[in-house]
Amino acid sequence: MKKKSLSTIYLTIVFLILYAPIFYLMYYSFNSGGKMYEFESFSLEWYKDLFQNTRLLIIVLNTIIIALLSSAISTILGTIGAVGIWHLKKRQTKNVLLSLNNILIVSPDVIIGASFLIMFTIVGIKLGFSSVLLSHIAFSVPIVVIMVLPKLQEMSSTLIDAAKDLGASNFNVLTKVILPYITPGIFAGFFMALTYSLDDFAVTFFVTGNGFSTLSVEIYSMARQGVSLTINALSTILFLFTILLVIGYYFISKRNGRIIGLGARK
Amino acid sequence: MTEQPIIRFENVTKQYDDDPPILDNVSFEMEKGKFYTLLGPSGCGKTTILRLISGLIEATSGKIYFKDKLINHVPANKRQVNTVFQDYALFPHLNVYENVAFGLRIRKMKNDEIDKKVREALRFVNLVGFENREIKEMSGGQRQRVAIARAIVNEPEVLLLDEPLSALDLKLRTEMQYELRELQQRLGITFVFVTHDQEEALAMSDEIFVINEGKIQQKGTPRDIYDEPINRFVANFIGESNIIKGKMIRDFLVEFDGKQFECVDQGFSPNEPVEVVIRPEDLEITTPDRGKLNVKVDTVLFRGVHYELCSYDENGNEWIIHSTKKAEIGAEIGLYFEPEAIHVMRFGETEEEFDARLESYDSYGDKDAD
Repeated sequence: MKKKSLSTIYLTIVFLILYAPIFYLMYYSFNSGGKMYEFESFSLEWYKDLFQNTRLLIIVLNTIIIALLSSAISTILGTIGAVGIWHLKKRQTKNVLLSLNNILIVSPDVIIGASFLIMFTIVGIKLGFSSVLLSHIAFSVPIVVIMVLPKLQEMSSTLIDAAKDLGASNFNVLTKVILPYITPGIFAGFFMALTYSLDDFAVTFFVTGNGFSTLSVEIYSMARQGVSLTINALSTILFLFTILLVIGYYFISKRNGRIIGLGARK
Repeated sequence: MTEQPIIRFENVTKQYDDDPPILDNVSFEMEKGKFYTLLGPSGCGKTTILRLISGLIEATSGKIYFKDKLINHVPANKRQVNTVFQDYALFPHLNVYENVAFGLRIRKMKNDEIDKKVREALRFVNLVGFENREIKEMSGGQRQRVAIARAIVNEPEVLLLDEPLSALDLKLRTEMQYELRELQQRLGITFVFVTHDQEEALAMSDEIFVINEGKIQQKGTPRDIYDEPINRFVANFIGESNIIKGKMIRDFLVEFDGKQFECVDQGFSPNEPVEVVIRPEDLEITTPDRGKLNVKVDTVLFRGVHYELCSYDENGNEWIIHSTKKAEIGAEIGLYFEPEAIHVMRFGETEEEFDARLESYDSYGDKDAD
């Protein structure tokens, strides 16, 4: 009994520490005083400010468009890549490709961002929407690959034999057996790519140009200019949106019978 | 019965890289509408034969014919055979109905026709009412039936079954043996059944191919193979046997254990060294003075339907006896057997030579050998 209550206390403390700053920030977003201390009275004026700030709203829209587009495209590319890697017969080639994929996931964002900046400058791609989209696709593809591949590997090879035995062509095998089987992995990959893209700061910071910005970059520059509780309001909305995403993800994976752990951001 | 064979293998070899061949120069024919069993220990090449027929792998050399048409390079999806896989390989994302309908949908059949066929196939395997179940809600035996329904709904001319009963418990397995046999007779198509379980093979087959180390050791009806095994491997693999070294004195007279016995085998050279097989159930326990052989009982096991006695003769040869009579451990007993119970095997005899020798018996009007 004692052991159990101890572990409960420990867990509560850990979560309190983890969530306290967020709730603190959210709490003061309703402060009419305009400061992060001395809560004066409840007000929604910062939210009103936020929704009157068209520049910020456009940036929110940009961020969402970039996130949806980049995760959709990288889901397609990553799924093709995963099927390709899985299909390889030579074990060595497979391992090399997989390692190349994993290196991209673990390498620091700063390096990826800087190298993209150099590349875009050399190739002559204008910094802005397209450069941000391209780089988001680039760092999302390996994530999708890593989410889809385990599903392919757990699939029994006799399923494919059975499909062929029943008259399925290679294309049929892909569309009627392999893709439906790995759908949960594809969804998980899409959601991971979406969250990665939504909250990416480092890569975006490098490749974003004049007149184009995403939320994380904008919040950063706003925070540097001085404290405005609009940031708090925006952060609160973002936080709620993230919770919605997580809940959506939960229901999708529940429907597919099992929960695939949402990997932590590096 | 001289119909054209539905499947014919001509000198088929399957080999990966420089490994020893999995299938070594195998030739055989299969007739329409019969139940064939490929029997052998794991790794003997029996599943390889199945995969060659289904087209999932290609032969390294040799020719495979389907109804006199060469099919070596016909891909699996273009062959009129269907397979029931060992792990059933049912599609987990589809329900029972859609699993069975899979092959028909691939062929772009009309919906009402698909519906008719799927329901008929499910009725065939006694799964009416399970149409909308998910695969993971089905038990092992039920999955097995879905796999069979999914295969037969395509009306194949040959149904291949890759150890489909191995995952079931004993009782269900026996039940499915009856059902499969009955199903084969109702459908009237050729079944090729792969197993390592000799009892299964004996109970269900019209013909058994005993396979070992990539070669077919013996082909024949269950009776032929049980009563007249060609060599030590077959005798040991199919049922239990007492195998003793002996000498063929002349036709119908064999010597083993220092004594001479009358037998029904012939066609050997005089004094040819041979191996003698006597099945444990052909040995009868009597008193030492009435026995043809006297042995001392070493162990007695109660096996339910019979006792299994392990005993030794004075030369140290082991004799396994299946008998409903019990004997005391350490007792001297006599063993009696009919001349027909003795089966003599020649060393290194090929199947053709063996068949030819057995056939020559017929002219003497002795034992039948098909």
